[in-house]
Amino acid sequence: MNNTLSSAELVEVTKIFSRSGKETVALDNVSFRVNPRELVLLLGPSGSGKTTLLTLLAGLQEPTRGEAYIFGKRVQDYSPTALQKTRAARMGFIFQNFCLLDSLNVLDNVLLVMHFAGIPKTSARKHAAECLEKFGIGHLTHAYPPTLSQGEKQRVAVARAIANGAQLIIADEPTGSLATQQGMMIIEFLHNGVKEDGLSVVIASHDERITKFADRVHHLQDGRLIEQV
Amino acid sequence: MYALKTLLNQYLRFIITAFGVSLCLLMMFFLFAIYHGVSEGTVRYIRENDADLWVLQRNAANLLRNTSILTTSYGNQISDVKGVNSIAPILFFTAMLILPDNAASVYLAGYDPQTGKGGPPEIIEGDTLSRDDQIILDYAFAAKYKMHIGDKLIVKDDTLVVAGLSGGTNMFVIQFAFITLSKARDMIGFPGIVSCYQVFLKPGADGDSVAEEIKSLSRNLTVFDRVTFLNNNIHEAETGVLPMLYVIGVLGGIVLTALLSLILSVYVLEQQKDYAIMKALGASDGFVSGIIIKQSLILAGSGLIIAVLLLEPMLKAIEKFSPTMSVHSSVNQVMIISVALLVIILLSSILPLFRQRRIYPIEVFR
Repeated sequence: MNNTLSSAELVEVTKIFSRSGKETVALDNVSFRVNPRELVLLLGPSGSGKTTLLTLLAGLQEPTRGEAYIFGKRVQDYSPTALQKTRAARMGFIFQNFCLLDSLNVLDNVLLVMHFAGIPKTSARKHAAECLEKFGIGHLTHAYPPTLSQGEKQRVAVARAIANGAQLIIADEPTGSLATQQGMMIIEFLHNGVKEDGLSVVIASHDERITKFADRVHHLQDGRLIEQV
Repeated sequence: MYALKTLLNQYLRFIITAFGVSLCLLMMFFLFAIYHGVSEGTVRYIRENDADLWVLQRNAANLLRNTSILTTSYGNQISDVKGVNSIAPILFFTAMLILPDNAASVYLAGYDPQTGKGGPPEIIEGDTLSRDDQIILDYAFAAKYKMHIGDKLIVKDDTLVVAGLSGGTNMFVIQFAFITLSKARDMIGFPGIVSCYQVFLKPGADGDSVAEEIKSLSRNLTVFDRVTFLNNNIHEAETGVLPMLYVIGVLGGIVLTALLSLILSVYVLEQQKDYAIMKALGASDGFVSGIIIKQSLILAGSGLIIAVLLLEPMLKAIEKFSPTMSVHSSVNQVMIISVALLVIILLSSILPLFRQRRIYPIEVFR
């Protein structure tokens, strides 16, 4: 185990949820690691524990047993504020339904994340505009999410994920609600980001077409990692 | 940015909410204005009177709710006290005025129009009294009952002509009216009585020693200096109808707090997913709390602006439709209600802030 090198890592993690006295094992003794400059794909059917694993990697919840590390430091050793700041400044998220804020326009959606990361307003504005141009959606700066197509929303979501200079991108079913070609474009972009910008990317998906872009592929079933390619 | 944009995203609701807040505030402004108007109107007659001392019957301490009956024989005795320059006897009693289309009670003050002492503090329209068959009505009373200069009315079988309309004589629950002292005595049927004496001192005379000397004339007399007598009447006014206005005002504040709290809680529930997204993306609890407080401030601030803009037209409309409703607004009242609003904002944000803390970023992944 080398905690200092990983962007995020789970070591023998078990996550159990209790509801109304009934316990559900979401993850069972899972060890998982995302290294810098690496795209890791987590495959598995719905309910296999992929999302739980992602939330543990992001420090959004703590394991029931085992250890979780973010940028080499135990999650429990972060103060809540430090963890929040780490997420804001060093992580990017792409959610299944993109989760853009409908009341803010495209530019403000991107700027908000940069605000959380503590990036000064003037440079944030310039950088946000560049990010949007990079994804070919510079003309949509003042558009509101409800008026965008799924493909456009996805590009905004990716622009938002990288705008804060994130080192680790966590993507939950990023191609789930997209046509094949659009979905693959974004995976290609993330793949390029890994190779050219040194990003770490972990993608949870049930889309096996992503496999060819991944440095490593893990299969998760019933909360257990059953295969690593 | 987000706080305002979220509110403006549903602009119709925002407008309705702001108007709801403004109505609550208008109610508070209104109660304040009444409170001020009543408390001022009730004692203005005494406040603007330049008597140095007030002499009343023993155990009477104010004009508003105490009865004082003195014989005119005291008048000569008081005039002879060293240091007294002049005295003004006044006779107060309530009476029913029979108007052309109506009947209403007034607080009649009989005074000597030759000296003008004890008369109305201000004549807004018309003249002071020059004959016994004349009466001065309160301006708001006259407006309410559509009485004008020259109109006739009946008091205790006497027909009087309206000679003037006075200001500062509206006590909210009843209004002053003024007649000559001789007519008042005539009406009441006891020519040898007055309610009180106003005493005007000679320059340099010591009020305290004059008061003591007057008291020593009879055990039946009590004497107050101007400030004490004014305070007695203010105290009496404040223990009357005014506390009720305070209670209604406080209730208005509670309603406004509950209303704002409810609205903000609904906003929090509606924006739950957005807040979860923000938290997942790295927003601090403080940032999300800030949004809620800002939204509360924006809603309350908008309501305050609307309320302030509507205040004067509302008060004018009230005075027009209900002239005896004594209302008085001031910048001070706006300041006090603004501070109260700030407290209300903080209180109304407590529940939504607690709700906000129970929104977890993990919800985004569900």
